[in-house]
Amino acid sequence: MNHNYVVMAVVLLVWAALFFYLLRLEKKVDRLLKNEKKEV
Amino acid sequence: MYIQKMLRWLLFFWLAAVIFFAFAQPAPQQQIGETSRIFYFHVPCAWVCVLAFFMTAFFSVRYLLKKEITLDAKAVLSAQLGLIFCILATLSGSIWARFAWGAFWNWDPRQTSIFLQLLIYFAYFSLRGSIGETEKRATFSAAYAILAFLTVPFLIFVVPRVTASLHPSDTVVGKEAEFNLGPTVRWIFFASLAGFTFLYYQLYRLGARIKVAELGRKETP
Repeated sequence: MNHNYVVMAVVLLVWAALFFYLLRLEKKVDRLLKNEKKEV
Repeated sequence: MYIQKMLRWLLFFWLAAVIFFAFAQPAPQQQIGETSRIFYFHVPCAWVCVLAFFMTAFFSVRYLLKKEITLDAKAVLSAQLGLIFCILATLSGSIWARFAWGAFWNWDPRQTSIFLQLLIYFAYFSLRGSIGETEKRATFSAAYAILAFLTVPFLIFVVPRVTASLHPSDTVVGKEAEFNLGPTVRWIFFASLAGFTFLYYQLYRLGARIKVAELGRKETP
């Protein structure tokens, strides 16, 4: 097994994990800002 | 909002493609061998670090002119991102050094200059941490950030080139400013550069929304 592909898979997994974390963070910010507009 | 969502997914697949080709294509530097693949990530991290510190200086100048606290928040955010990418560039360079030079760290001029860069921007955050009053903190750190950015071109671009460094210096651009990259390597490298720049923008955008929301919460009675 060419270990380049192992390293590639690991880097892709790290990138996907970071990306979906940012997606969740953005959704949380959207919800907070929406609630804040309702409060004002 | 829909466009932002599309751009985000474009970024995801763009960088995923860069990662795939970075490992699937032949190594960019045949003499250095397989470890030269780190170049596709190491150089963009260093580039984003310079860009982020420039934006910090840019927002700092605007803060000193307008005295708007959101500009201070944006300057800090960009400095945080710059520090993260500076650390990533240092780590990726050190990993490569382990394979190419036999040690993670040997105080090569390139390592010493980026280490100094880290210290200069860690000092930015400790300066901010040492001043309690908001306006004073913003003003002092803005002045510091502008001066700190003057060291960036010197430490990142000049010092490593005028001293005897083991670090490759003409990987991307040669002595006569011609590109030293083959067509495939050039394509993957610049796609990675663009992807990392866009990643910085997305991180900055998200962080700026959070910081402005925090400021809005503090100001409402």
